[in-house]
Amino acid sequence: MFAFARLLFVGFIVLTVIYVCLSFYSRAVRRGKLRAQWHEGPQDTDKETFVDEGLADYDSSLKRKLILGVYVVPLVTMGIIVYLTNHS
Amino acid sequence: MFSIFKWTFWITVWVLIAGFFHYTLPQRDIVRIVNTYEERQDLEGWTRIFWSDAADQVSSPVNRDVQFIQAVRPDGAAMVYRNEDTGWGWPPYFKLDTANLYTEANDAKSTKAAPEWYLIKHYGWRNVYWSIFPNAVSIKPIEGPNVSKGLPWLNIFIITIFLTVVYGIWIRWRRFRIARIDPTFEALEDDIAERSAGVSRWLGTWRKK
Repeated sequence: MFAFARLLFVGFIVLTVIYVCLSFYSRAVRRGKLRAQWHEGPQDTDKETFVDEGLADYDSSLKRKLILGVYVVPLVTMGIIVYLTNHS
Repeated sequence: MFSIFKWTFWITVWVLIAGFFHYTLPQRDIVRIVNTYEERQDLEGWTRIFWSDAADQVSSPVNRDVQFIQAVRPDGAAMVYRNEDTGWGWPPYFKLDTANLYTEANDAKSTKAAPEWYLIKHYGWRNVYWSIFPNAVSIKPIEGPNVSKGLPWLNIFIITIFLTVVYGIWIRWRRFRIARIDPTFEALEDDIAERSAGVSRWLGTWRKK
């Protein structure tokens, strides 16, 4: 069981690093897009509020949650490999 | 001279990468299973890396029993596989059913007179000088020795992804070098050239005219 625990622990750390980096990167990209949108758009509100509102929408969006796939995809892959190797 | 070093370096790197993939990725052999045996193996020296890390053992033993599967290829060449758990370590086959595979292999034995052919999935290398063996992962009965092994889709997929990532990194590094590093070095070279021209002018003043 020790080897399994070690794999989960190390995997969790590595994936967390990837997850955090990807989150920040994705948020920065979104911020840039919102700014560009503001410059093109009607500019009813000032830029800061527009970007903040856009980011708040982004935080509750499905796209934001898709980054959790960083954890899900390797775990599912591992499950599939375990099944294929040992049960078929 | 510098380009010799450069080429040697990159060829070495790529040979190592190719070796790594050739060792780690699964391969399929068509074989007839002849026998199985267990033998005590000394796990010392640098060839230790070619044996599994004993799963969940707190201390690493100096030697232990290892299961082997003896097989013959359709052309009559002998092949011996080891049968070890990879456990939760590297390479990530997560093989935990060694005892089951050993049972299947024992059940799959056949004679030269009435051969039964099996597709054996394995990774690793056989080397008689280093006494290392590929690790069998699974066996599957097949019709005969001439059945197609199929395209190695998984290997193609993994190597494609790897090369894509390498290309992505390389193209970005190249752009970065052209934009940032090359101009700096050129400026430095120009500077050095100017200075050395100054020095030789100064030396020239000492020469006889």
